[in-house]
Amino acid sequence: MSGRRVVITGVASQWGAELARRLERDPSIEYLAGIDDAPPAVELERTDFIEADIRSPLLSRLLPGTGAETIVHCGIRWFPEPGKPSRVLHDVNVIGTLQLLAACERTETLRSLVVRGSAAIYGCEGPAPCFFTEEMARRLPLRTRFQRDASELEAYIDNFARRHAEIVCCILRYQPEIGPGLDSPLVRYLSLPVVPTQLGFDPRLQLVHVEDAAGALEAATRNPARGPVNVAPSGAISLSRILRLARRPFVPIPHPVFGPALERLGRRLGAGPLYGDGVRLLRYGRGVDNGRLRSDIGYEPRFDAVGAVRDFASATGSRRIGPSLHPGDLAGRLAGFGR
Amino acid sequence: MRPPSAESVADFLRRMRVGIEDGLDPLTAAQRAATELPRTVRRALDRLSRRLQGEYYEDEWGFDEEFAEAVYPLFEFLYDVWWRVEVDDVRNVPSHGRALLVSNHAGSLFPFDASMILGAIMKEHPLPRWARFLVLDWAFVLPFISTFMKRVGGVPASTHNAARLLDQNELVMVFPEGAKGTGKQFSDRYRLQRFGRGGFVEVALRTGAPIVPVAVVGSEEIYPKLADARPLARLIGAPFAPVTPTFPWLGPLGLIPLPSKWRIAFCDPIDLSEHGPDAAADRRLLFDISEQVRETIQARLYESLVKRGSAFM
Repeated sequence: MSGRRVVITGVASQWGAELARRLERDPSIEYLAGIDDAPPAVELERTDFIEADIRSPLLSRLLPGTGAETIVHCGIRWFPEPGKPSRVLHDVNVIGTLQLLAACERTETLRSLVVRGSAAIYGCEGPAPCFFTEEMARRLPLRTRFQRDASELEAYIDNFARRHAEIVCCILRYQPEIGPGLDSPLVRYLSLPVVPTQLGFDPRLQLVHVEDAAGALEAATRNPARGPVNVAPSGAISLSRILRLARRPFVPIPHPVFGPALERLGRRLGAGPLYGDGVRLLRYGRGVDNGRLRSDIGYEPRFDAVGAVRDFASATGSRRIGPSLHPGDLAGRLAGFGR
Repeated sequence: MRPPSAESVADFLRRMRVGIEDGLDPLTAAQRAATELPRTVRRALDRLSRRLQGEYYEDEWGFDEEFAEAVYPLFEFLYDVWWRVEVDDVRNVPSHGRALLVSNHAGSLFPFDASMILGAIMKEHPLPRWARFLVLDWAFVLPFISTFMKRVGGVPASTHNAARLLDQNELVMVFPEGAKGTGKQFSDRYRLQRFGRGGFVEVALRTGAPIVPVAVVGSEEIYPKLADARPLARLIGAPFAPVTPTFPWLGPLGLIPLPSKWRIAFCDPIDLSEHGPDAAADRRLLFDISEQVRETIQARLYESLVKRGSAFM
C-alpha cells in the first residue's frame, strides 16, 4: 500500500464511485476523499465529497489541503454524459488532467498518481500488431479526436513523471468495458435488437468485464507500477462470435455508411452513436497484452475475453415465452428430429 | 411397394443398435432408428447449430480451425489437381515446438504459396499441423480478405506478432521478400529479391526457433506479371497492380490461376540456439544469417526447377 490518504477525482463516475466503495471497506485507509462537479449517485459512507470542477484552477488550492498520498484520476471520459455535447470531452479530458497535474505539483504529500486512461492511444488499424505491449504507443497514426486526446494527456503525465521521480505515476490503458448493467455506447450497441456490423470486417476485440475493470483499478491504487499498464482480459474474441453468443441478429452494411447508419438507427432505438474510436474499433479491432497488469500490478483478471462476453450474454439473455426462433436453436432442434 | 435394399436394412439395424446402446428399450430404439435423420445430416446440423450460437473455438489471433477445415477442400483441389504439387523433405518441418519457415514469395495477383506450403504440411507430414503465416499489411485493410486471412491463420506482418506466435510454440511462415517478391516481373522469376531488413532472423534468434528454408517452384507461373498499372495501384493503396496475360482482359475469368506444376522443397533446419537471444542485437550476424538463408533457398530453387522440368506439363 503506497498511501493511507486517497483522493479520487471523478468520483461521481461509475468507476470512481465503485473504487470509493471498495476502498471504504479497507480500515488501513485513514482518509478518503472524492472530487467531482456532481455528487455520486451511490451512497458513500466515509468518503469526503468535495464539489469542484476538475477544469478549474481552484483544484490547486483544494488538493494540497487534503494531504493526499495517492490520487486516483477517474475523470477521463470516453463518451459525453447524456445531454451534453461531445465537444466537452476534450476539455474535461485534457484540460482537466492538466489542472490536476498542476494541483499535484503543489501537493507535497503525494506519493502516487493513478490515471484511468484508455487503450485508444494505440489506435485502431488493420495491420496493427495483434497484441500491443505498453512501449508500442503512438506507433500508428492517431486518427480520431479521442485517440489524440488520449495521447496528449499521457504526454502530460509522462512529462510530470519525469520531473517528479519520487512520485509513482501509473497510467491504466483500458480496453472498452462490458458487463451486465453497464451503460455505455458500446454496450447499448451490442444490445440493439438488430446489430449493424461492417460488411467484410470481423474485428478482434477485448472487452473488460466491469468487475475486472473495478478490480484492476483497486489493485493499481494499492500497488501502482511506474508507467503505462494495459487493462484487458486475456485472449481476444471476434465481433461475430460476441453477437452470436449474445444471440443478437446482425446485419452487415458497407463500412463507409456504417457510422451514419448506426447514428440514425441508434437514435430511433435509443442506442445513440459510438464515440471516440468506436467505429474504427468495430472495423479493425484492437488487442493488447495484459502481461504487465498480471505481473507488475499483480491483478489476475477473473474473466478472459470470451468469459466476459458469456457473462454479459447470460445476464442480458432475453426471456421469451414459447419456443426460441433463433436459427441456431432451430438447427439444433432439427438435428434431434426423430430422436 | 419396393422391398427395402440390404443396405438400408443394415443402416436401420446399425441405428437401432446405437439406440439400444443408449439405453432405450427395443421398441423405442426401433422407432428412433426408423425416424431419425441420417448421421451425416445430423452432424452437419449440430455443427451449424453450434456455430450459430457462437459455441466454437477461435484462438486469440482469430484463427478458427473449423473454418480452416471447411475451406480446405478448395485448396486441396488446387493442390492435387490443378497444380499437382510435389514435396521434398517435408520431415524437415518439426512435428512439435516452434519453428520459422522462411520461403520465397511469388504469384502476383494472389500469392497462393502460403496455402500450398500449408497443404504440403497437412497432407504429406506424418504429424500434420496448422502453420500460421505473416501477411502483407495491406490485406488487413481490405474487407473480406482481412477476415478470411485471420480465420485461416494469417496475422499482419510484424516482428511482434511473429515473436509472440513463436513463444506460443507455433509453426510460423514468413516471406521476407514481401511485396517485392510477389510484384516482380515474370522475366525475373525465381530470382530472389532483397530479404527485407533481416527481421525474421532477429525474431528467430530472440525466440530460439530454428529456421527452415522453403523453396517453392511453380508459384511464379500462376499469374505471370507482364506489366504494372502503377496509377491504379496508387489509387487503391496497393503495393502494385499486376497485368497478366489474362487479367484484367478476361475480367473475373482472369483470376483463375494458370495450372503450372509445383514443387515445394523443405531444406535442412538451421539451428540458431548457439547464438543465444542477445545476438538479436548484432546487425552483422543478422545480415550474415539472412544471406545464408537466402542463398540456401536460391540454390534449392534452381535444383527444384531442374527436377520439375517443364513448367506446365
